Amino acid sequence: MNRQSMLQWIAVHAFAIAAALFFVMPFVFVGLTALMSDQQTLTRELWPDPFAWHNLVTVWHTHGFSTWWRNTIIYATVGTALTLLSSIPVAYALACFRFRGRNLAMMVIIATMMLPPQVAIVPLYLFWAQNLHLTGTLWPLIIPLAFGDAFSIFLLRQFMLTVPREYLEAAKVDGCSDFRALLKVVLPMTRPAIAAVALFQFFYCWNDYFGPQIYTSENPAAWTLSYGLQTFKSAHHTNWNLTMAATVLVMAPVIILFFFAQKAFIEGVTLTGVKG
Amino acid sequence: MTATRRLRLAGTALGVTLALTTTACMGTSQGGANDNPDADVTLTFWHGWSAPSEVKAIQATIDAFEKAHPNIHVKAVGGITDDKINQALRAGGASAPDVVSSFTTDNVGQFCTSHAFVDLNPFMEKSDIDPQETFPAAQLEYTQFEGNQCALPLLSDAYGLYYNKDAFKAAGITEPPKTLSQFDRDAVKLTKVSGDTYSQLGFMPLYHGYESTITHFAAQWSPTYFTPDGKSNVANDQPLASAYRWQKALVGKLGGYEKLEKYRSTFGDEWSNNNPFMTGQVAMAIDGEWRAGMIDDSNSKVDYGVAPFPVPDGMADQYGKGYITGTIVGIASTSKKQNAAWEFVKYLTSDTDAVVNFANAIHNVPSTLAALQSPDLNPDPNFQTFIKIAANPNSNTTPSSPNGGAYQLTLQDLGYAFESGKQTDLQAGLDKAAEQIDTDIAQSQ
Amino acid sequence: MSTTTRNPTLRARRRREALRNVAFLSPWLLGTGLFFLYPLITTAWLSFTHYDGFTAPTWDGVSNWRYVFKDYPFFWPALRNTLWFVVVLVSLRLVTGLVLGMTVIRLRRGSSVFRTIFYAPYLAPPVAATLAFVFLLNPGTGPVNSILGQLGLPEPGWFNDPTWSKPALTLLAIWGVGDLMVIFMAALLDVPRELYEAAELDGAGPIGRFRHVTLPTLRPILGFAVITGVIATMQYYTEPMVAGQVASGQIGGSGQQVEPGYPAGSTLTLPQLVYNLGFQRFDIGAACVIALVLFGLSMVFALFLMRRGSVFLGGDE
Repeated sequence: MNRQSMLQWIAVHAFAIAAALFFVMPFVFVGLTALMSDQQTLTRELWPDPFAWHNLVTVWHTHGFSTWWRNTIIYATVGTALTLLSSIPVAYALACFRFRGRNLAMMVIIATMMLPPQVAIVPLYLFWAQNLHLTGTLWPLIIPLAFGDAFSIFLLRQFMLTVPREYLEAAKVDGCSDFRALLKVVLPMTRPAIAAVALFQFFYCWNDYFGPQIYTSENPAAWTLSYGLQTFKSAHHTNWNLTMAATVLVMAPVIILFFFAQKAFIEGVTLTGVKG
Repeated sequence: MTATRRLRLAGTALGVTLALTTTACMGTSQGGANDNPDADVTLTFWHGWSAPSEVKAIQATIDAFEKAHPNIHVKAVGGITDDKINQALRAGGASAPDVVSSFTTDNVGQFCTSHAFVDLNPFMEKSDIDPQETFPAAQLEYTQFEGNQCALPLLSDAYGLYYNKDAFKAAGITEPPKTLSQFDRDAVKLTKVSGDTYSQLGFMPLYHGYESTITHFAAQWSPTYFTPDGKSNVANDQPLASAYRWQKALVGKLGGYEKLEKYRSTFGDEWSNNNPFMTGQVAMAIDGEWRAGMIDDSNSKVDYGVAPFPVPDGMADQYGKGYITGTIVGIASTSKKQNAAWEFVKYLTSDTDAVVNFANAIHNVPSTLAALQSPDLNPDPNFQTFIKIAANPNSNTTPSSPNGGAYQLTLQDLGYAFESGKQTDLQAGLDKAAEQIDTDIAQSQ
Repeated sequence: MSTTTRNPTLRARRRREALRNVAFLSPWLLGTGLFFLYPLITTAWLSFTHYDGFTAPTWDGVSNWRYVFKDYPFFWPALRNTLWFVVVLVSLRLVTGLVLGMTVIRLRRGSSVFRTIFYAPYLAPPVAATLAFVFLLNPGTGPVNSILGQLGLPEPGWFNDPTWSKPALTLLAIWGVGDLMVIFMAALLDVPRELYEAAELDGAGPIGRFRHVTLPTLRPILGFAVITGVIATMQYYTEPMVAGQVASGQIGGSGQQVEPGYPAGSTLTLPQLVYNLGFQRFDIGAACVIALVLFGLSMVFALFLMRRGSVFLGGDE
């Protein structure tokens, strides 16, 4: 290694380490504060003394917390399953069938993908509240996912386009119906995209704040973690230590899941952007 | 039952009158409820209490009620805010409440005119309750709007001054201040600066300083928020302007906005045991009578005294008054169990034992005439101070308006802009606020 | 006119195909109708009515529109804030994502560890991440200001100070830059090595190589990132909402109404106005006006994206 590339090596690594510190510090401070005593949180000390491990237990046993957990898991798992079930056939049709209006359909999908959920929320809320009386439950969050999700359709369709035509044609020659071709040929070849879509949707549901705020806020028994966490500090009259302990308990599963499914994630993100 | 009714112009003592045509197409309501009050039913009751001692107290009241009415069960849901009440009353459905209570009187106008709450007059008639002989006039006033008694008072609140006796002793102050100039002087005396922050602050005047809102302060000047024809009066109201100016001057005396705002961010939650008055971070606070109960129930070692909040120097003869408000309770017009709900509301609001016990338990001021005279009422002198503030004829509240508390938010916004120096010309700010309040009210109908 | 055919078997096949297409598309067709077109049309209609959620809507002409544009005190501040976020937040996220991406691909050792570290915050649930930052940047007891104080640096008011609240939100957004970094990394790895070698032979320094090789190859993906960034800013809701409520210390107290955009309206965004008007004040007509404005703005940028066209659509035609 010559001098110049040596210097470059040092500079790049030094920068990477400094940046990594910036990205890790918030987690560290949140973790440390989660273990402080009540009195200590009101001071400027940074290191817990003594370590109050029971904070995590206290939060876990806080009224409502386990209910929020259960609701979030229901919303995320059922929501993800429904999204996949409803989006895969649509993506398949848009990728593999030729028909008039296909480009228009793609344009509408991209348009709906870009729309803030607030655009349509007022009539939708009135519909769920006054016609179906389902506000205060998880249904208004889950049911719409049975009707396809624009982002998932888009992503799956992009990936399905890469399935070579010849495979489909061969399946047809063998007498496969379109549906069987989807099951036997397309699905096995799009597994990475399906994994990515499932992960994204799971995260979307887990992190969703606006939906639960609008539809479930009136009934604490239907709150999810995101909504419950926001009210945590004031509703339970707690200090930062317990609030941060709750934050840790909400972040942890997502981060752990990420470590196990890192590859699928990064592939998924790349998939969304790389086509540009 | 659908009723089209024209609500007539009617001057209320609080001075809000509006002409509006409303088409009511909600629920069954208007006292014509015909559900069987003896049937076995479960009522859903929403309330805002969330501190553990308060939740325990309301549950005790509910238990006593259920014992007396074995066929009626009450499922209580606590910690409910007004936003959620507003949302749920529009939704109806299985999880919607039958009986709703709110900590603020702000939205009574909205609840009444929209018929979200049923008119309780027919129910009271049926039960032979004469509202005038049961409830104090002020409380009866803030639970009705233009003759529609759509809510009843469920205990009331009075605001006064809390002071830290040890801090007073250390600063050589012998008695609580009676006028605002004494108060300012004491606040400065009680303030200990440490570096660019404080080790103790005399008083937190900032409008985000928990109960330090403009309307709570302004009550000491007895402002008039609306003209008799329902228009905003804030641009012409000298008392209100004086309140803004007093606060701004005090902010300056205590070290300025930025320093105070930074100190404020070190405060614990208002309702926790780390409330800045309870931790000794501030030596004086404006707060409601419930705070005394919370301090006594907590392990806080603060040795506190209470007194009426000081009055402006020129109004020394009115010392003893304060801001009053209260919790209200009503019956949702979407409820299908209104007769049973009324039994519960009747018990909560007018049963003397229930009111006295609940008032004692959460240190609130009782809201019936009989309960106020009751020998069982907590004789604690601190508590009696607040009872006297509540009974003071000069005490006052914020009037109800057809778009709820929106006008108070506008006034708070002006407060934030004025205290931080963003708005320097107070009169211009008040003119703008008045205009905003008027357009908002017009827009809401 | 469509191509009609006289061949009966062909026609039957066509019909079968059309039926099949509809069958496969049906979830989405129904969903678009129910959850997009119907609410959109209703929103447009409601924007011309007075409606409080209790009594039936009554026709009110353009008065909601006039109210929002002329008298609603939060509308223009929210639009100005959005513009600020578009200019500052989007571009800083872009630069950070690019710099991190370029750094990580240059690392010979541990690049996957660094990638994980930079990417993980992107996954932190927004409410949790926002709470964490409100705590970290809390002017009184937060660790960031403790450290700044010990170093003798000025301690900003962050989420409690209208001039610092948007920069604080920007920091939070930069912390979650992982998605952009990964996208840029993928694009950077696609840049042919020969181009760099050729440029080096031509005597181009690192900056020259960046300008003449890296940037041109990345241009399409940068354009994509800008537009999606702008669109995300139009939807910016959870972080400013939660930050404002938690920092004001006034969430959830019964009887208190949430103060939108604390401090001093500096964190207001358009989606929050839909909530404020529609779900706090129940001025449903005016809320629908904001929703339509939001729709219009989002559509303009969505069209930009679609004009970039077939590349993004990834069409095979």
